[in-house]
Amino acid sequence: MRVFFRTASMVGGALIAMALANPALAFTACQVTDTGGIDDNSFNQTAWKGVLDAEQNLGVEGRFLESQAETDYDANINSLIDGDCDIIITVGFLLGDATEKAAKANPDQPFSIVDFAYDPPIENVLGQVYATDQAAFLGGYLAAGMSKTKILGTFGGINIPPVTIFMDGFVRGVDHWNAVKDDNVTVLGWNVDTREGLFTNNFDNLDDGRAYAQNLYDEGADIVLPVAGPVGLGSATLADELGVDKLKIIGVDADLYYTDTERQHVYLTSITKRMDATVAAVIETTMNGHFEGGVLVGTLENGGVSLAPFHDMDDMVPDALKAEVEALRASIIDGSISVSD
Amino acid sequence: MKDATQGRVFGRTQLEDLVIVPLFALVAALFLGALVMAATGVAPGTIAQSYAALLKGSVGSIDAVSETLTAALPLVLAGLGLALGFRAGLFNIGAEGQIVMGGLAAVVAGVALADFPAFIALPGALLAGAVTGAFYAGIAGWLRAATGAHEVISTIMLNLISFRLLDYLLRTPLIQKEGRADPISKSVPDVAELPKLLTFLDANLRLHAGLFLTLVMVAAAYWLLFRSKLGFEFRASGENAIAARFAGMNAGLTIVMAMAVAGALAGLAGANQTLGVLGRATPGFSAEIGFDAIAVALLGRSHPVGVLFAGILFGALEAGGRQMQVDAGVSIDLIGIIQSLIIVFIAAPLLVKAIFPWGFRKAGTGKGRS
Amino acid sequence: MQVELRNITKRFGPVVANKDVNLTIEPGEVLGLLGENGAGKSTLMNVLCGLYEPTEGEILIDGRPVAFKGPGDAIRAGIGMVHQHFMLVPVFTVAENVILGIEPVGRFDHLDLKAARAEVKKLSTEYGLTVDPDATIETLPVGVQQRVEIIKVLFREADVLILDEPTAVLTPQEVDEFIQIVRSLCDAGKAIVFITHKLNEILEISDRIAVIRRGEIVGSGDPKKLTRPELAEMMVGHPVDFDVARAPFAPKEVILDIQGLTLVRDDGAVAVDDLSLQVHSGEVVGIAGVQGNGQSALIEALAGLRRPVAGKVTFDGTDITDASARERHRMGIAHIPEDRQRAGLIGNFTVAENMVLDSYYGPPFAKGAGINWGRVEEEAAAVAEQYDVRTPSVHAAAAHLSGGNQQKLVVARELSRDTRLVIAGQPTRGLDVGSIAFIHERLMAARDEGDGVLIVSSELDEIMALSDRILVMFKGRIVAEYAPHEAPVDKGTIGLAMAGAAT
Repeated sequence: MRVFFRTASMVGGALIAMALANPALAFTACQVTDTGGIDDNSFNQTAWKGVLDAEQNLGVEGRFLESQAETDYDANINSLIDGDCDIIITVGFLLGDATEKAAKANPDQPFSIVDFAYDPPIENVLGQVYATDQAAFLGGYLAAGMSKTKILGTFGGINIPPVTIFMDGFVRGVDHWNAVKDDNVTVLGWNVDTREGLFTNNFDNLDDGRAYAQNLYDEGADIVLPVAGPVGLGSATLADELGVDKLKIIGVDADLYYTDTERQHVYLTSITKRMDATVAAVIETTMNGHFEGGVLVGTLENGGVSLAPFHDMDDMVPDALKAEVEALRASIIDGSISVSD
Repeated sequence: MKDATQGRVFGRTQLEDLVIVPLFALVAALFLGALVMAATGVAPGTIAQSYAALLKGSVGSIDAVSETLTAALPLVLAGLGLALGFRAGLFNIGAEGQIVMGGLAAVVAGVALADFPAFIALPGALLAGAVTGAFYAGIAGWLRAATGAHEVISTIMLNLISFRLLDYLLRTPLIQKEGRADPISKSVPDVAELPKLLTFLDANLRLHAGLFLTLVMVAAAYWLLFRSKLGFEFRASGENAIAARFAGMNAGLTIVMAMAVAGALAGLAGANQTLGVLGRATPGFSAEIGFDAIAVALLGRSHPVGVLFAGILFGALEAGGRQMQVDAGVSIDLIGIIQSLIIVFIAAPLLVKAIFPWGFRKAGTGKGRS
Repeated sequence: MQVELRNITKRFGPVVANKDVNLTIEPGEVLGLLGENGAGKSTLMNVLCGLYEPTEGEILIDGRPVAFKGPGDAIRAGIGMVHQHFMLVPVFTVAENVILGIEPVGRFDHLDLKAARAEVKKLSTEYGLTVDPDATIETLPVGVQQRVEIIKVLFREADVLILDEPTAVLTPQEVDEFIQIVRSLCDAGKAIVFITHKLNEILEISDRIAVIRRGEIVGSGDPKKLTRPELAEMMVGHPVDFDVARAPFAPKEVILDIQGLTLVRDDGAVAVDDLSLQVHSGEVVGIAGVQGNGQSALIEALAGLRRPVAGKVTFDGTDITDASARERHRMGIAHIPEDRQRAGLIGNFTVAENMVLDSYYGPPFAKGAGINWGRVEEEAAAVAEQYDVRTPSVHAAAAHLSGGNQQKLVVARELSRDTRLVIAGQPTRGLDVGSIAFIHERLMAARDEGDGVLIVSSELDEIMALSDRILVMFKGRIVAEYAPHEAPVDKGTIGLAMAGAAT
């Protein structure tokens, strides 16, 4: 319904007709996306890739429903409950309440939710959460080492834990750099202590992404971390226009070098959250009959989160800095450095 | 129903206008929608399957009907308000903002009335939604009456203000949910919720008592428009503002009243969403219902009964569209295209008559003599 | 060039607009085409000038059948029409307007305005039109604008000129000049078709008269041998009484007293300038004047729709200067607006709805916040019958009524209740003879019952037929006053005053 005024986006050809092999026999994995669209080059798309991977490797059948607005969550989950889904995967923290409601009303239906952990756990929901701050810590350290202006910027979509955890790790990574190097790199856009910062309050307005990055750039930031799904693509556009000498972007969720191919040269790196891997893993477990409610945490150690390669900017990153980041990774994994003091 | 304004007999022209044109528009839109699918490489079998899913998801089961109605209710409520505005010659683009303000006010009132019994808390919350919507729309009406500022511009601006105001208010301590840093309101207490009607059949059925509210409002809007003094003034001002002024009607007051009534209905649509469907307010909870309601009001020919049916049609398209996506994997955006096409065809009845020459009387009768 | 319409029938669906019409137009002759509004005059002429194709029959030029696919064909064949509503660009000059659409171009697509101006000058002197090719249209009086329209047609080398109600917008003096122009066009061998519903004019100007009623030619003849009553009977189908019966003049107290009224238009220009007048009960006061001299503003102010900047209006001893339209209405002031379509009626509303447009809010029609439609319909049906509003039912939309019935509807609404003062603007503009007579009768009846009646009209005949006292308005002031019951006054005298000669 919401799409009434934005149908133009589809004429471009987002129609996906899926093969409909014998639905009675195949294992069906159903996914409800958050707002922003399944083709957001970021959050939703990465989670959907997990289903696609499972289709390819395990022969399951995948279905998805896009949420056009927050009001769609309940309705979308409800529609899938009628749709013979062997597992329903909801993507996003904001679907937490709707998923809980549906799970409690349908105790026999296995659910899994990305970015949400219930406390106490619900028997038929497997939460997938990510220690994103571990990877973001590395990203912050790297950015601090790369900045010429000694000012970095970040902004988020909505002030919710799965977003701010990126910003927490990023800021603490910078703090770590300052402590180690006795430097004074600052981060605009997020205050770890007051929990206040810069938020677009949506996950779909690319113009906001551009405007917020512009503001941060005007304040001196030369590397910006947008944590807002496709909103960050707007920031990348600005960096593309200004030139990577003046502004670099750090991607989130997926390795944006691959998903945002038109502007791939503006990404210093990406703080990846391998939702595709965990989603595929959950599908496989369920298919094998081992589904269990609880929490699955993605870490640097198990590859659930990581820092993407530098790709085109590989030559710009000093070898010493690369080595320091690598060492830092090892220290985080072995616990000698804590990312959440 | 005896209708002094439309004539005692439901004439052939009204039949064409209210039934045949929308029906053919729907058929033509579905056909073109199929062509769009074909053009983007969807297999014919999948196209057939998607339309089967559209039917199944909208009317194919109790759950489908429940979803259709749930989606239709706010569209009908807001559409009624817009229809009244159109009748009064006001092109109110502001239903979206009025929904936001009304829905939020209903949540706030509901939370405040949590300790009262339901027969006070629920009407109180609904009233808060209606009054706030009326006030918010009344601003645009007053600006028009007092300064001549066109309501299209002012309501668009008021929409933008309402979105930001919502983001801001949702983070104020009075409204924000405890323990959350993101903009989300406290939950509506049970006493202020519009009770679900069909949970005795299935816990997933979301249809709620807003259904009765909506039906009452359709009747009330009909009475207001065609039976009341105020409605007579609305229609007179909309048809011929100069003649209305010459007949002694107060143009400024009529504008403010028409906007306020439209806003009250949009505010009720917002309250219907927060109290009946969502249980809270979040950023963007208005979900462009206020804009879709413009289409609903136009499709319903600004007639309360027409709006009811148009709203149900749009609700069916929304619920069925979801099923299309689930069963056939066809993008939900296609539903948007079909809705848009329906509006295009409705807006161009001559086009419909040209495509479907049967079912219409020959044009060009009775006119032309000097 | 001789044009013949042979057995022309024009149908719109089941409606027959013209039936089996035979008409010949000879060069050097003025053919007067007389008929009521809606009789089919304009349809017939639209067939002739190529706007409509005839359903049956043919058009012959000099004996050869022709077929017009559009107005362009007709113009090329030498048939041009001057429409009732001018089609001129106000900010262009006369020459620019004349060449609009067929601009003469020199080399390299250069607009050859010089040649155009010369041609306009030539035509202007040839036919005595006296038009300055360089004048801007908006600065010209209506009469001159009409001549520009005629030049436009002549510039396109028309031999047959169709003039649709050409005198409706002219002052008596302008009408005289216009008749001279038509004469000189005839003398030059042009054929003129003169469409009107005014009997005096057609008798004065035509060489031959054809009367059309309900789409058919019902009679024709020589104006020298026809009288007004004969023509009127042919036009409407029954004998028409031209004299308005009136009781002896017996004015009573002053009911409306206007002192020093000054009004400004929306654009800030002064419309009414320090005007004072009085209307007595039992008296008809007629305000004559060429349109645009402040009459509209005066009526609006009296109806409560325009705030005066100075002056005082008293109704029956009560100061109503700042009273609203509704308050005045309640006091018994009836207002028949100048423009029934724009201000008097709501076209898409039914006859019943229009009948209560200004009285729906009170008893007996209102019922709480609602309206008692049953009562409204009963009342409306009764009043419609009483005032001869011919409508299929009170549920018919007002827009579907003929002009005469629309105006009778407005008159019925305003006069069917208790009134003490009637303000009527252009009460019979564009109406047929029968409706005019009926409305005149009603206005006179109101006066005889003791109402004060103030009529504003640009139809001098109407003012003279109805008024006990005639005031002439020019540039926002009353410039002359006549009392026909004391001393007879002639049209020429008033016409001069209307043109500003009295100032």
